[in-house]
Amino acid sequence: MTYKITEEGNIATVHLDGEIDMDVTEKAKEVIMPLIEGGKEVHLNLKEVQYMDSSGISVLIESHQKAAELGNRVVLKEISKSVLKVIMMAKLEQILIIE
Amino acid sequence: MTFSESKEFSVHSSSLKEIRSFAREVLAKDDIFKSSCDDVVLALAEAAQNIVKHAYSGKETSDSLKVEISFDNNQLKIDLYDKGEPAIPSNIKPRNVNDIKPGGLGTFFIGQIMDEVVFKTAATDWVNHLILIKNY
Repeated sequence: MTYKITEEGNIATVHLDGEIDMDVTEKAKEVIMPLIEGGKEVHLNLKEVQYMDSSGISVLIESHQKAAELGNRVVLKEISKSVLKVIMMAKLEQILIIE
Repeated sequence: MTFSESKEFSVHSSSLKEIRSFAREVLAKDDIFKSSCDDVVLALAEAAQNIVKHAYSGKETSDSLKVEISFDNNQLKIDLYDKGEPAIPSNIKPRNVNDIKPGGLGTFFIGQIMDEVVFKTAATDWVNHLILIKNY
Protein backbone atom coordinates (compact mmCIF):
# COMPACT_ATOMS: atom_id res chain seq x y z
CA MET A 1 0.00 0.00 0.00
CA THR A 2 1.19 3.47 -0.81
CA TYR A 3 -0.50 6.78 -0.11
CA LYS A 4 -0.45 10.47 -0.89
CA ILE A 5 -2.00 13.21 1.22
CA THR A 6 -3.26 16.50 -0.13
CA GLU A 7 -4.74 19.23 2.04
CA GLU A 8 -7.07 22.03 1.16
CA GLY A 9 -8.47 24.13 3.98
CA ASN A 10 -9.80 21.79 6.63
CA ILE A 11 -10.04 18.82 4.27
CA ALA A 12 -7.25 16.28 4.07
CA THR A 13 -7.54 13.83 1.18
CA VAL A 14 -5.68 10.55 1.52
CA HIS A 15 -5.19 8.80 -1.81
CA LEU A 16 -4.62 5.15 -1.02
CA ASP A 17 -3.09 2.82 -3.58
CA GLY A 18 -2.65 -0.95 -3.69
CA GLU A 19 -4.01 -3.72 -1.53
CA ILE A 20 -5.22 -3.12 2.02
CA ASP A 21 -5.02 -6.18 4.20
CA MET A 22 -3.97 -7.12 7.73
CA ASP A 23 -0.34 -6.53 6.83
CA VAL A 24 -0.82 -2.81 6.19
CA THR A 25 -3.70 -1.81 8.46
CA GLU A 26 -1.41 -0.37 11.14
CA LYS A 27 0.30 1.75 8.52
CA ALA A 28 -3.09 2.91 7.18
CA LYS A 29 -4.22 3.85 10.70
CA GLU A 30 -0.97 5.72 11.35
CA VAL A 31 -1.70 7.82 8.28
CA ILE A 32 -5.41 8.44 8.81
CA MET A 33 -5.91 8.72 12.57
CA PRO A 34 -3.62 11.73 13.24
CA LEU A 35 -5.48 13.68 10.56
CA ILE A 36 -8.82 12.90 12.22
CA GLU A 37 -7.43 13.67 15.68
CA GLY A 38 -6.03 16.93 14.28
CA GLY A 39 -9.58 18.03 13.50
CA LYS A 40 -9.45 17.51 9.74
CA GLU A 41 -12.35 16.27 7.66
CA VAL A 42 -10.70 13.29 6.02
CA HIS A 43 -11.51 12.17 2.50
CA LEU A 44 -10.28 8.69 1.60
CA ASN A 45 -9.86 8.30 -2.14
CA LEU A 46 -10.11 4.57 -2.85
CA LYS A 47 -9.93 4.68 -6.65
CA GLU A 48 -6.59 2.86 -6.77
CA VAL A 49 -7.30 0.31 -4.05
CA GLN A 50 -7.64 -3.02 -5.85
CA TYR A 51 -8.24 -5.18 -2.80
CA MET A 52 -9.54 -4.70 0.71
CA ASP A 53 -10.27 -7.37 3.30
CA SER A 54 -12.03 -7.29 6.67
CA SER A 55 -8.98 -5.63 8.26
CA GLY A 56 -9.23 -2.77 5.78
CA ILE A 57 -12.95 -2.51 6.43
CA SER A 58 -12.14 -2.27 10.15
CA VAL A 59 -9.92 0.73 9.44
CA LEU A 60 -12.81 2.41 7.61
CA ILE A 61 -15.19 1.73 10.52
CA GLU A 62 -12.68 2.86 13.13
CA SER A 63 -11.93 6.05 11.19
CA HIS A 64 -15.62 6.77 10.70
CA GLN A 65 -16.36 6.24 14.39
CA LYS A 66 -13.39 8.30 15.60
CA ALA A 67 -14.36 11.22 13.36
CA ALA A 68 -17.99 11.04 14.51
CA GLU A 69 -16.84 11.02 18.13
CA LEU A 70 -14.95 14.26 17.45
CA GLY A 71 -17.88 15.81 15.61
CA ASN A 72 -16.25 15.41 12.23
CA ARG A 73 -16.52 13.01 9.31
CA VAL A 74 -14.59 10.67 7.05
CA VAL A 75 -15.81 10.62 3.47
CA LEU A 76 -15.08 7.77 1.07
CA LYS A 77 -14.45 8.96 -2.47
CA GLU A 78 -14.17 7.25 -5.86
CA ILE A 79 -14.42 3.77 -4.37
CA SER A 80 -13.14 1.06 -6.70
CA LYS A 81 -15.61 -1.61 -7.76
CA SER A 82 -13.88 -4.36 -5.80
CA VAL A 83 -13.78 -2.33 -2.57
CA LEU A 84 -17.41 -1.23 -2.95
CA LYS A 85 -18.39 -4.89 -3.27
CA VAL A 86 -16.73 -5.67 0.09
CA ILE A 87 -18.30 -2.60 1.74
CA MET A 88 -21.69 -3.78 0.51
CA MET A 89 -21.05 -7.34 1.65
CA ALA A 90 -20.41 -5.89 5.12
CA LYS A 91 -23.69 -3.93 4.75
CA LEU A 92 -21.86 -0.67 5.47
CA GLU A 93 -22.94 1.38 2.47
CA GLN A 94 -25.62 3.10 4.57
CA ILE A 95 -23.33 3.61 7.57
CA LEU A 96 -20.11 4.96 6.06
CA ILE A 97 -20.22 8.30 4.25
CA ILE A 98 -19.82 7.68 0.54
CA GLU A 99 -19.73 10.50 -1.98
CA MET B 1 -11.83 -30.33 -15.37
CA THR B 2 -10.14 -31.64 -12.28
CA PHE B 3 -7.12 -30.25 -10.45
CA SER B 4 -5.46 -30.10 -7.09
CA GLU B 5 -2.65 -27.73 -6.14
CA SER B 6 -1.09 -27.02 -2.81
CA LYS B 7 1.53 -24.70 -1.38
CA GLU B 8 2.93 -23.88 2.03
CA PHE B 9 3.38 -20.34 3.35
CA SER B 10 4.92 -18.78 6.43
CA VAL B 11 2.43 -17.99 9.16
CA HIS B 12 2.75 -14.21 8.89
CA SER B 13 0.56 -11.35 7.71
CA SER B 14 3.07 -10.66 4.94
CA SER B 15 2.17 -14.07 3.43
CA LEU B 16 -1.41 -13.01 2.76
CA LYS B 17 -0.50 -11.33 -0.50
CA GLU B 18 1.35 -14.46 -1.68
CA ILE B 19 -1.63 -16.63 -0.71
CA ARG B 20 -3.94 -14.41 -2.77
CA SER B 21 -1.57 -14.56 -5.75
CA PHE B 22 -1.40 -18.36 -5.50
CA ALA B 23 -5.20 -18.61 -5.41
CA ARG B 24 -5.64 -16.21 -8.34
CA GLU B 25 -3.13 -18.22 -10.34
CA VAL B 26 -4.94 -21.50 -9.64
CA LEU B 27 -8.39 -20.05 -10.29
CA ALA B 28 -7.23 -18.61 -13.62
CA LYS B 29 -7.14 -22.19 -14.91
CA ASP B 30 -10.77 -22.05 -15.96
CA ASP B 31 -13.33 -19.41 -16.88
CA ILE B 32 -15.82 -21.07 -14.55
CA PHE B 33 -14.16 -19.16 -11.69
CA LYS B 34 -14.04 -15.82 -13.50
CA SER B 35 -17.02 -14.15 -11.85
CA SER B 36 -16.36 -15.52 -8.36
CA CYS B 37 -12.56 -15.38 -8.30
CA ASP B 38 -12.30 -12.18 -6.21
CA ASP B 39 -14.83 -13.47 -3.68
CA VAL B 40 -13.13 -16.86 -3.30
CA VAL B 41 -9.73 -15.19 -2.93
CA LEU B 42 -11.21 -12.95 -0.22
CA ALA B 43 -12.69 -15.95 1.64
CA LEU B 44 -9.39 -17.84 1.51
CA ALA B 45 -7.41 -14.77 2.61
CA GLU B 46 -9.82 -14.19 5.52
CA ALA B 47 -9.36 -17.81 6.62
CA ALA B 48 -5.57 -17.49 6.38
CA GLN B 49 -5.74 -14.21 8.29
CA ASN B 50 -7.68 -15.97 11.05
CA ILE B 51 -4.85 -18.49 11.36
CA VAL B 52 -2.28 -15.70 11.81
CA LYS B 53 -4.52 -13.68 14.11
CA HIS B 54 -6.22 -16.38 16.19
CA ALA B 55 -4.46 -19.76 15.88
CA TYR B 56 -1.13 -18.01 16.53
CA SER B 57 -2.51 -14.89 18.27
CA GLY B 58 -0.30 -12.79 16.01
CA LYS B 59 2.86 -14.26 17.60
CA GLU B 60 6.03 -14.75 15.60
CA THR B 61 6.52 -18.37 14.51
CA SER B 62 8.61 -20.37 12.09
CA ASP B 63 5.60 -22.61 11.35
CA SER B 64 4.00 -22.88 7.96
CA LEU B 65 0.39 -23.15 6.92
CA LYS B 66 -0.71 -25.17 3.94
CA VAL B 67 -3.29 -24.21 1.34
CA GLU B 68 -4.68 -26.83 -1.01
CA ILE B 69 -7.08 -25.83 -3.77
CA SER B 70 -8.85 -28.59 -5.66
CA PHE B 71 -11.69 -28.83 -8.13
CA ASP B 72 -13.65 -31.93 -8.92
CA ASN B 73 -17.23 -32.65 -9.90
CA ASN B 74 -18.03 -28.93 -10.15
CA GLN B 75 -16.99 -28.43 -6.56
CA LEU B 76 -14.16 -26.13 -5.49
CA LYS B 77 -12.58 -27.23 -2.24
CA ILE B 78 -10.00 -25.23 -0.31
CA ASP B 79 -8.21 -26.97 2.53
CA LEU B 80 -6.20 -24.92 5.03
CA TYR B 81 -3.92 -26.67 7.50
CA ASP B 82 -2.07 -25.10 10.40
CA LYS B 83 -0.22 -26.08 13.56
CA GLY B 84 -1.50 -23.29 15.80
CA GLU B 85 -3.68 -23.51 18.88
CA PRO B 86 -6.52 -25.98 18.31
CA ALA B 87 -9.59 -24.12 17.13
CA ILE B 88 -12.84 -24.56 19.04
CA PRO B 89 -15.45 -24.55 16.27
CA SER B 90 -18.29 -23.53 18.59
CA ASN B 91 -16.35 -20.34 19.44
CA ILE B 92 -15.93 -19.36 15.80
CA LYS B 93 -19.02 -17.40 14.91
CA PRO B 94 -19.54 -14.46 12.60
CA ARG B 95 -20.47 -11.36 14.51
CA ASN B 96 -23.84 -9.75 14.03
CA VAL B 97 -23.25 -7.62 10.94
CA ASN B 98 -25.69 -5.01 12.28
CA ASP B 99 -23.42 -4.44 15.25
CA ILE B 100 -21.13 -1.85 13.67
CA LYS B 101 -17.66 -2.18 15.13
CA PRO B 102 -14.18 -2.87 13.82
CA GLY B 103 -13.21 -6.55 13.64
CA GLY B 104 -14.99 -9.87 13.37
CA LEU B 105 -16.11 -9.56 9.77
CA GLY B 106 -13.79 -12.19 8.29
CA THR B 107 -15.88 -15.19 9.33
CA PHE B 108 -19.00 -13.38 8.13
CA PHE B 109 -17.43 -12.86 4.70
CA ILE B 110 -16.37 -16.51 4.48
CA GLY B 111 -19.93 -17.59 5.27
CA GLN B 112 -21.35 -15.22 2.66
CA ILE B 113 -19.04 -16.40 -0.09
CA MET B 114 -18.63 -20.14 0.46
CA ASP B 115 -21.37 -22.78 0.42
CA GLU B 116 -19.90 -24.87 3.20
CA VAL B 117 -17.32 -24.34 5.96
CA VAL B 118 -16.05 -27.35 7.90
CA PHE B 119 -13.63 -27.37 10.84
CA LYS B 120 -11.76 -30.58 11.44
CA THR B 121 -9.01 -31.75 13.71
CA ALA B 122 -6.23 -32.46 11.28
CA ALA B 123 -4.70 -35.85 10.99
CA THR B 124 -0.94 -36.36 10.62
CA ASP B 125 1.39 -33.38 11.01
CA TRP B 126 -1.15 -30.56 11.34
CA VAL B 127 -3.39 -29.36 14.16
CA ASN B 128 -6.27 -27.54 12.48
CA HIS B 129 -7.91 -28.34 9.19
CA LEU B 130 -10.44 -25.91 7.72
CA ILE B 131 -12.35 -26.81 4.58
CA LEU B 132 -14.08 -24.21 2.42
CA ILE B 133 -16.40 -25.46 -0.30
CA LYS B 134 -18.06 -23.70 -3.20
CA ASN B 135 -20.27 -25.43 -5.72
CA TYR B 136 -20.35 -24.45 -9.39
